[in-house]
Amino acid sequence: MLLFSYLLLSGITTGALYALVAIGLVVVNKSTGIINFAQGELFMFCGFVAWMVHVQFGQAYPFAFIAAIAGGFLLGVVTDRVAFRSLAKTDIVGLVLATVGLAFVLRGSARMIWGGKGDYLSFPPITSPEPVMIGTIMVVPQQMAALAGAVAIMLVFAAFFRFTRAGKIMRATADNSKAATLVGISIQNVYTLAFGTGAAIAGAAGVLAAPLTLLYPDMGFAFFIKGFAAAVLGGLTSLSGAIVGGLLVGVVEAMAGGYIHSSMMEVAPFLLIMLVLIVCPTGILSLYKARDV
Amino acid sequence: MSLFSRRNVLSSLFVLALLVPTFANAYHLFVANLILIYVLLAIGLNVLVGYAGQLAFANAAMFGIGAYATALLQVHLSWPFYFAFPAGALIAMAVGLLISLPALRLSGLYLALSTLAFAQFTQWVFLHWDNLTFGAGGFKSPPISFLPLPLSKPVGLYYLSLITASCVTLFTQNIMASRIGRAFVAVRDGDVAAQSLGIDLLRYKALAFGISGFTAGLAGGLYSQLFNFVSPEGFDLFQMVIQKAMIVVGGLGSIAGSVLGAGAIIVILELLREVKGAQEIVFGGVLIFFVTFLRGGLVGSLQKYVRGWDEPLHGARPLASKQVARVRLDEKESMS
Repeated sequence: MLLFSYLLLSGITTGALYALVAIGLVVVNKSTGIINFAQGELFMFCGFVAWMVHVQFGQAYPFAFIAAIAGGFLLGVVTDRVAFRSLAKTDIVGLVLATVGLAFVLRGSARMIWGGKGDYLSFPPITSPEPVMIGTIMVVPQQMAALAGAVAIMLVFAAFFRFTRAGKIMRATADNSKAATLVGISIQNVYTLAFGTGAAIAGAAGVLAAPLTLLYPDMGFAFFIKGFAAAVLGGLTSLSGAIVGGLLVGVVEAMAGGYIHSSMMEVAPFLLIMLVLIVCPTGILSLYKARDV
Repeated sequence: MSLFSRRNVLSSLFVLALLVPTFANAYHLFVANLILIYVLLAIGLNVLVGYAGQLAFANAAMFGIGAYATALLQVHLSWPFYFAFPAGALIAMAVGLLISLPALRLSGLYLALSTLAFAQFTQWVFLHWDNLTFGAGGFKSPPISFLPLPLSKPVGLYYLSLITASCVTLFTQNIMASRIGRAFVAVRDGDVAAQSLGIDLLRYKALAFGISGFTAGLAGGLYSQLFNFVSPEGFDLFQMVIQKAMIVVGGLGSIAGSVLGAGAIIVILELLREVKGAQEIVFGGVLIFFVTFLRGGLVGSLQKYVRGWDEPLHGARPLASKQVARVRLDEKESMS
């Protein structure tokens, strides 16, 4: 029971981080039809930005948090302006390769800027690292802080999409881009906004993850592919699906690591993805919905 | 036929390559050999991505499987290299055919994800199946000897790579100019239309995966000999991006482009060998630059500015965002 509850909690925590990466992917994909392969690298890069603000410049954690989110948003907007805007009319192979290129530019930059100080940087914990026993359940405060942060970010972005003008514009474009153009929405600006928002979510996830994992330039890819898996599990266009998918990937990973073999932890999500793609390529949530085409 | 036609340029490159061991030092010979190996990889990937339009990310894994299979057959079963080498390529081809099975149902991004997952899985097997693969540390592969021939090992391996690369270049060029190549392009440009013309999608997609697996396996076998050492590190995502950059720089859907792209990228890679971060930035930048501003790659420019350079099947891809639209439509359908 102790092991189970511990694994479940840590699975949910990492799952919530995967879900954030997945939400970023879904936001970009819904508005633009692109999967941003650089999502994981944006996540990593923002983690480093937060580290720089928090550790090198000695600012408080909330400042680092805001800096990373703002940095992510800016990076997303800049990359859209520089690279993706001129690609709007090319095919999916070109777009995917461009985002892969972006991923490597970010990774290389992080290695050049921060890599010299030992490749693994540790981010100081926000709360005490000691586990606390609540009844028979072991709770790690650090994980709880990350989980709470993830839930808070999800709520903030849900509110953003529901209540703000920008969020409504993005939803309208995702729903029907032609109709959105007809009512005077600039699709170009929505694309920019989507890349920015997606990158900002990645940034937020990066800051939350930083105290749990060490920071290193190659960390982004693992988070990207698991976030991508989570997004696909949820059907690639559904925000709630992305959250469910993320939690599922996280919990499966933790359980496989705890009950089968610790090395299974790295590979279980990939086996899950391959299985799901072979059995139901349109996502698990689609199993519960009647298909009427 | 004009002076700088594709055939003349490739032939003179071949003659130049034949002469390399006479004037190159050991390091230059090594780099030249590496280029030949990457020519094989780039051609295989270009058949799959450039011609058949399958957005797969498993080529680095195939490369690794070829290298591991060739070396392990020699180590565990003490097969001679000349049996292990083709066997390794066939094993890689078999795995390629195997992963093409789900690919037949998946398209675009879903295929990208499933092949990425497969590549990660392969990496994990290399790392953790200690009894077979010797784990993270890697292992030494027994060096080949060219004993009856008066050749040192590096020179002999260089000529073996040159022969393999030339044969594969000629072979794929002919295949791509045949009915099969045209079928690939038809699948790439519109699979429904291709099907209505009587092209068996299942067979041709599997064929594309098989060809790319086989060439990657050949490359893997030669690679294991070039370094005399096999470890999981060489076959990661960076490897995949190097190969993608080659075909994008050379030109998607062009065999000659794969050759030129492989050469260009390896030279850049070797020049930046000291700083890994700079390597990554330059690669990513090159990838973005070519995708954004030079869609046709090097052969696209050659075709435009050099008289007599023909690339019949290159760049025929429709420019409209049709495929993107279709992927999104599929998703909308699945949502409703």
